[in-house]
Amino acid sequence: MVIGHTCTCDQNPLLPALCRVIDVKQETPDVQTYTIQTLDGKKPFSPLPGQLAMVSLLGVGEAMFSITAQGEDYIQSSIKRTGMLTDAFHEMQPGQEIGIRGPYGNHFPIEDLKGKDILFIGGGIGIAPVRSLIRYCLEHRADYGHLDILYGARSRKDICFKEDCLENWPKEPDTSVYITTDVPSDDWDGHVGFVPSYIEEVGFRPEGKKVVLCGPPIMIKLGAASLLKLGFAKEDVITTLELRMKCGIGKCGRCNIGSKFVCLDGPVFTLAELDELPDEK
Amino acid sequence: MTELTQARTEERIREEAKKALASGEVRAVVGWCATRFDDRTRPFFAETAEECDLLVWNPYCINGTAKFALDDRYPDQKLALILRGCDSRAVNRMLRDKQLKRENLYLIGVVCDGKENPICEECQHKTPLVYDVLIGEPAKEQIYPERFRKIEEFEKLSPDERYAYWAAQYDKCIHCYACRNACPACNCIECYADQYRVGWQGKAADREQNQIYGLTRAFHVGDRCIECGECERVCPMHLPIMRQTRKMLKDINELFGSYEGGLSEEETPALGGFRLDDPDEFM
Amino acid sequence: MIISKLNLNKALQILNESAQVFVPAFEVIEDRAAKKSIREKKFLPYREDLEVELEGPNTVKPPKDILFPNVEKLYQYKAAGEDSYIRETLPEETPKILFGIRPCDMRSIKSMDKVFFTKNYVDSYYARRREYVTIVAIGCTETDRTCFCDSMGIDPNTAPGADVMMNRIEGEEAYLLHAQTEKGEALLKNLESLEGPSENVKAIRTDCTLKIRKIPDLDRKLAEMFEHPIWDKVTKGCIGCGTCTFVCPTCYCFDIDNENYGTEGCKYRCWDSCMFSDYTRMAGGANPRPTKKERLRNRYMHKLSYFNERYGETLCVGCGRCIANCPSHLDISEFIEKSSAVDPKAEVYTESIRAAQGKEA
Repeated sequence: MVIGHTCTCDQNPLLPALCRVIDVKQETPDVQTYTIQTLDGKKPFSPLPGQLAMVSLLGVGEAMFSITAQGEDYIQSSIKRTGMLTDAFHEMQPGQEIGIRGPYGNHFPIEDLKGKDILFIGGGIGIAPVRSLIRYCLEHRADYGHLDILYGARSRKDICFKEDCLENWPKEPDTSVYITTDVPSDDWDGHVGFVPSYIEEVGFRPEGKKVVLCGPPIMIKLGAASLLKLGFAKEDVITTLELRMKCGIGKCGRCNIGSKFVCLDGPVFTLAELDELPDEK
Repeated sequence: MTELTQARTEERIREEAKKALASGEVRAVVGWCATRFDDRTRPFFAETAEECDLLVWNPYCINGTAKFALDDRYPDQKLALILRGCDSRAVNRMLRDKQLKRENLYLIGVVCDGKENPICEECQHKTPLVYDVLIGEPAKEQIYPERFRKIEEFEKLSPDERYAYWAAQYDKCIHCYACRNACPACNCIECYADQYRVGWQGKAADREQNQIYGLTRAFHVGDRCIECGECERVCPMHLPIMRQTRKMLKDINELFGSYEGGLSEEETPALGGFRLDDPDEFM
Repeated sequence: MIISKLNLNKALQILNESAQVFVPAFEVIEDRAAKKSIREKKFLPYREDLEVELEGPNTVKPPKDILFPNVEKLYQYKAAGEDSYIRETLPEETPKILFGIRPCDMRSIKSMDKVFFTKNYVDSYYARRREYVTIVAIGCTETDRTCFCDSMGIDPNTAPGADVMMNRIEGEEAYLLHAQTEKGEALLKNLESLEGPSENVKAIRTDCTLKIRKIPDLDRKLAEMFEHPIWDKVTKGCIGCGTCTFVCPTCYCFDIDNENYGTEGCKYRCWDSCMFSDYTRMAGGANPRPTKKERLRNRYMHKLSYFNERYGETLCVGCGRCIANCPSHLDISEFIEKSSAVDPKAEVYTESIRAAQGKEA
């Protein structure tokens, strides 16, 4: 009786599958990336870019995270330490059993983006969902136009996915990468400044271009203002929302904004869609 | 002067409320307004002179008004409260607990005539103990001799009987926190019970969690209870909640002498104070 | 089928043989210290010595916990290396009969069905309980002063979706029962031995006590009133407790948490309330609904507008329980009248005497 649901279990959408963390990578002082596999070495499920997973640290708690990457036999999630639960996640070692259920939510509009140039903008841990889409576009390179990637971190050591941002992506064909840090540091000779002003400084052109904008709420607000100033339409700016979630299936109630549920109807919205919702984000 | 009639008191309340708003120092007056049922009123914030005419005074003005002052702890302007005796003790409670500042309040005291609320029979202070303006002639303080009678009766039961009684009560509890939210002694900025992430207590409304909540609250407010009875009045499941704090108060009275909470802003709660020269070396 | 009131206990006994029957009845707690007893009407598992009351005022708490318990285990787990497991704990497959629920409560169950059965995911726990429940609804004979279901589009005499509909017969101490589903037919078959004569009987019809003035498209009007000053006013008297949500037959929001013992434990869900600060508070401490104004607005909007938009019907069934039990005597029916009457574009909202008293003009 499960309609259009692609969760790991056949029946019960609230039941996690027991999985194992096979690798823990320290991305920054407060962000770790976990590579997750089922106990028999398979991929827990196949998410679309932008979808979410409910990750359960058995006995401690669970929370919703975006899935930042996937391979043949694994998915990856990057988690930033922000409180008691994420502190506990950061204690995990490879081999740790966890529960995982999902994927939840809608996804980035990979069909609508076809044939378009895409400007990816990420701030802080907000690069995690963006990365799932960047990886998808690179895997389906012929379907998409020019890719611009603008990423802002607090300082060099806070840059997530350093290999991708600093080495791999700049080498990709027809791809431009712009990295900025909020504060200067001795080990950083790149751009220094906040994301919104960097957007204006580069002066991206709106023609034929869609934007994917993810980051802390203040960056989304100011970044969106910068984009509008450059002539981008609200319909062409795509972002993701984060609210407290528990069930992931649009039933437990708390992640609603108006009549929409972030876990089910989101987390991906265009700025134009957000304008239609009550101001309670 | 003779005792004011109900209608005259209501008139005076409206006058004082309007005066307070007209002074420009007060942003709203908290009192009671009518509802669609004649035997019910509701807490009401009058913010205009026109709205002051909606304030009522009748036997059904039973909700406490003082706790609403906590909704804005750092107000730009004063909040005026219509106060009965119990509300004035609630104000003292919150002033003493450093949750409110006196200069942020304008207090319109009304000598209470007792309301359609069982607790009013037990009232010892019908005249507000703190106010800026008083409506009515101060009434003589009364002694309610039965204050601890129910506790005495309850103490006669065996421990097993007492446990069974409270277990049945806490099986009914729906964990709605109405008792806490109505209680003027429950004035913490953030209640321990809302800190689910810390895990002091679970959210499930089962006997275990409900009892943890009930016991913790009773001990936390026990010596600061002002006996307004709001906890019991608001309980949708009719738990005799005040019996817990009354038990604490009874013990305090027996151990430390006569004590009532909220009589003044200066009083130290019996269990909340200490003396540097305390002869007991427990510290 | 006609069953005399005298045979009611016998009918319940027969039904109780093959299923667990829940009926509205009085629970009594003796308070020896105060020398009194507290009586409360609620849905209780049937016993012969129960004081059953099908008519009279409605129960304080709705019967929703039989389908959606206050606390429900989701799974058990163990986190211990190779011995780790996650084991689903679906509810037992025990047939239950909900006997004597009101039309408002039946409508509530239909709303919960929409939540738990539609929009991509079926909730396995609710689905299991729902499958094993047979519902016998009863048309109201007596309504409380807070009953306003007919103003919300519900007929207090019929209960679409119930397996059996039961109505008092005019002028007689008997009930008229008819099956509305196959489950209902099977249930009535069990009671054939008690069938009474059925000539020229007429079911009693009842009207709600409280008639409120609600505009038909209030849901759409409210959708445009999110920033309206009325919210400041109507939410001021709220004390932010969860009473309204826990006595509401349609409040279905829940929390998920675990109870842990060493390396083992269970995940459970329990009722939650949108009136609590913790409900939407995020890990970093930010809260999109920081005060009771935002929380109560969300609750009223969910009942009267958001749910309509998502599921095509109102989520307030007019049972009046929140009105009867609110510690501050807030009244959703008054809000419905005020918001129906108010100018949706107004920048200032002042209570008027008529509105504050909520009386007929």
